[in-house]
Amino acid sequence: MIDPDTDLVQRAGQGDRAAAQALMARHLPKMLTLARRMMGSQAEAEDAVQDAFLKLWTHAARWQPGKAKFETWLYRVTMNKCYDRLRKRAPASLDEAVEVADPAPRADSVLEKAGLAEEIEAALQALPERQRAAIVLCHHQEMGNIEAAEVLGISVEALESLLARGRRTLRARLGHLKEE
Amino acid sequence: MGNTDQDKMWLKSALETLPTVPVPAGLERRILADFDAQAARRRASLLGQLRDAVWPGAPAWRPAFVFGAALAIGLMAGVLIPLEDGVAEGTEQTAAVSLDAPPTFEIGENS
Repeated sequence: MIDPDTDLVQRAGQGDRAAAQALMARHLPKMLTLARRMMGSQAEAEDAVQDAFLKLWTHAARWQPGKAKFETWLYRVTMNKCYDRLRKRAPASLDEAVEVADPAPRADSVLEKAGLAEEIEAALQALPERQRAAIVLCHHQEMGNIEAAEVLGISVEALESLLARGRRTLRARLGHLKEE
Repeated sequence: MGNTDQDKMWLKSALETLPTVPVPAGLERRILADFDAQAARRRASLLGQLRDAVWPGAPAWRPAFVFGAALAIGLMAGVLIPLEDGVAEGTEQTAAVSLDAPPTFEIGENS
């Protein structure tokens, strides 16, 4: 298996800024989306992603190709940074984060869609964090079950169980949207 | 198509209604600043390892100062101290081996 990122990681580990920029351009948008869906807050998602990249910069020089796929490792680091921040949150601030899910100003024409997105976002944020992670990785980031299980550090069976429970909860919370 | 597959498709389309997450330029700058700081730290660490190999625990200026001082003293000594006459005169050498001496063995002696 040839990892398309190996060369860039090794060059970044030697201090090559262009390689670091290329890695960032390739992975930052997906990492930020993942963190945003996990955290429900743009500012916290940005901080989690910045922490994940800092870990990448400190480990790049020691990266050993072939041990793990780089992208899987990077997703795992990002996910762990999100978990760290979620655990530091007070329960009250978690509720606030759900409420401020979409701070963008809304025009009348997009009000309905924004309201729908807000409802879905709130339902997602209300899921337990492991179920949310499984749903986001598999249904939003379109990752395969094997890779998603690797990211979460669990077996494929455990992942499928998380997915099934997450889907059931979302269906219960958002069932009225499905019928519309 | 089963219920589960329908759920999967519905969930996927529902999640697609979520707004895309823009990458702010400020975040890219912060991440690259972290990279630059890390690269600078690594360079400093390599210099530190070299310094510790020369003079463990000493501040960086000390081995540099001692090396510079030793170089300066050596150069001054080379320029200012004249060669002694005796050394210059006694440089002739004579060969200790006489080249016309007979060989100590003969080729084909046992054949």
